[in-house]
Amino acid sequence: MHIPDGLLDPITTIVLWIVTIVIMILGYFRMGKIFEKEDSEKMIPYIGVLAAVIFAFQFVNYPVPGGTSGHLVGGTLVAIILGPWASVIVLFLILVIQSLFGDGGITALGPNAFNMGIIGGIVGFYIVVLFVRLFNKTSLKKELKVTIATAIGSYIAIVLASFICGIEIGVGGAIPIEIAIPAMVFWHLIIGIGEALISALIVFYIYKTKPDFITTESILGVE
Amino acid sequence: MVEISRYKWPLITVVVVVAALMFVIAVGFTIGFLSENPDGLERVLIDNNGEEWLENLFSPWTPILSWVTNDYVAGIIGIVLSIAIMTGVFYLITYLKKRDTK
Repeated sequence: MHIPDGLLDPITTIVLWIVTIVIMILGYFRMGKIFEKEDSEKMIPYIGVLAAVIFAFQFVNYPVPGGTSGHLVGGTLVAIILGPWASVIVLFLILVIQSLFGDGGITALGPNAFNMGIIGGIVGFYIVVLFVRLFNKTSLKKELKVTIATAIGSYIAIVLASFICGIEIGVGGAIPIEIAIPAMVFWHLIIGIGEALISALIVFYIYKTKPDFITTESILGVE
Repeated sequence: MVEISRYKWPLITVVVVVAALMFVIAVGFTIGFLSENPDGLERVLIDNNGEEWLENLFSPWTPILSWVTNDYVAGIIGIVLSIAIMTGVFYLITYLKKRDTK
């Protein structure tokens, strides 16, 4: 879902850049308390590793029926681990690195970070919160509640991001909006299954091996 | 003085995960379970406007790492860059946040 240079119109691009920058500045101030703790430096190598994992999974495409392919976006996954505000900054930096390889445009960094970081990260995170609270009424184990909610949240977030991306393309005039939205949503309804599975598996693995790395448990409200 | 022993496990994790990622990328590109097909957005654009149109979209720059044509090498460079940039930025964020709370 990496928008290349020249696809969106200048106004859409500028507006999405402004929104992304504002959210990132806000994100810095609202970022979790984990970054203020005495031993928070210990988290930093793990954040580097997480970024490498997201980069690698965005870099490689898995086959999807119909002659297309998918790759992890990872916004919701990062948000579950580091918090929704930090996820926008992480995704933005990963997109910067990918744009150096020509995967996603440099002028489209703002729109791409909006779709994958803000929709994928922040919106996806709060969808997960909603489902975790629904699952709190069941007798599921804590890690299963978060894992299943992550799968659902990341799936909805990726489809929602594709819907928004369809609007952006339509407004930009590259493809009529009535074609762009259904086409984008259709493919991402399939691609999103991979996103959901990978995100859920990684969250489940972290819960089993290093649960304190999930820093958002209190916001998720998991019981 | 930085106490390396404090970072023993984080550093071991970095090395292990990077090695695992490189292995997955290498195996993926060798066996071919990874796909070269266009992703969802590219598919939509190609279906409607054609591949040539997509390749000729105006870009104000030439991506500075576009000369790396080998996927495996690009993957390794990207992983190293991700770790370096993210570590640097979050070190700075942590430093600034701690300084502000003092």
